[in-house]
Amino acid sequence: MKKAMLSVLLLALVAALAGAAITYVNGITEPVIEENVANEERENLLKMFPDGEFIELDGYTMNDCILSVYEAKDRGYVVKAAAYGYNTSTPIIVLIGFDKDGKTIGISALQQQETSGYGARCFEKIFMEDTYVNKTADDKIDTLSGATRTSSAMQKIMEAAFEAVSEVR
Amino acid sequence: MWRNFKDSFIKDNPVFSMFLGLCSVLAISTTFNNAVGMGLCVTIVLIFSNVIISLLRKLISNEIRIPVYIVVIASLVTIVEMLVHAYAPSLYRSLGVFLSLVVVNCIILGRAEAFASKNDVFSSAADGFGMGMAYTFALVLISVVREFLANGSVIFYDPFDPEKVIFGFAFESLKPYTMPLAASSVGAFLVFACFAAFFAMLKNRAADKEKEADKQ
Repeated sequence: MKKAMLSVLLLALVAALAGAAITYVNGITEPVIEENVANEERENLLKMFPDGEFIELDGYTMNDCILSVYEAKDRGYVVKAAAYGYNTSTPIIVLIGFDKDGKTIGISALQQQETSGYGARCFEKIFMEDTYVNKTADDKIDTLSGATRTSSAMQKIMEAAFEAVSEVR
Repeated sequence: MWRNFKDSFIKDNPVFSMFLGLCSVLAISTTFNNAVGMGLCVTIVLIFSNVIISLLRKLISNEIRIPVYIVVIASLVTIVEMLVHAYAPSLYRSLGVFLSLVVVNCIILGRAEAFASKNDVFSSAADGFGMGMAYTFALVLISVVREFLANGSVIFYDPFDPEKVIFGFAFESLKPYTMPLAASSVGAFLVFACFAAFFAMLKNRAADKEKEADKQ
């Protein structure tokens, strides 16, 4: 009985010390991590509109695709959107820039792990610029044969982004 | 001690001859960069978990030893993960979920159970270092071959500043002949199997030599 109590106490003590250590390190690292994330987001936005001033907007219909919408002051909008393609564990996340009239002016993939040689071809620079840039909501977005699920996900993202932009404009 | 350290690389290499921790080895050995980052994280966790468990070995009763090991290892991994996330974000992104999965890396629990719980602090730390380095060595071997076959180049970035290349070589003339297969999981198994066979050969040769020496 006494031995069991000692064991329980020791385990509790180890767990408490471990918890304290984790809390301490978390206190140091959390602000750094948050700053990194904010910086990275800003750098990505600056790729769309160099020297832009960005404000995060709301007022669009929330759905699964749209992660956030930014307004670049007097210049246009940036939409961050996500959808699942062929890889169902890592979503595709893209950043799409729009001018003030709702025409796309740029796109960049922040994260994608689609099959290389198949779905990943959707993210080649030439294909992306041809297919997704300089489009309005009325244009048709092409798909890529052999990469149906990836390009369907991209179509879903584009549709949602056009809708969100038309709502905030 | 030195013999132990040397053995852990070839004869008792945790990856090639004990087949431990294969999940992370196969998954993370796509690039040299990932391999070094992962190897160092595992080494750090191994050294500290071995030291802590060796310090506690007289206090822990047999019934609660596994829970204590798990608590110690899991908190060390969480701490390393948070530090990597904060100070080497690019490495954190490329290691992804496999960094948190170091918790269930059987090399660490295996060394805690088989070595640190029976030996003094200093030799446990040395064992952790040796095993960690052997794991890194295995990862680096596989990853160099895979990255070279898949990209025709091997590049090592500064983990704290991904723009800066510390060293790297690339053969432009090989670019048309790269094999994307090597970067996929199939490639991981193929490369791993070749190395495992080679290490088994080394091991068998050494064993044969010993036998002959015994006969004479």
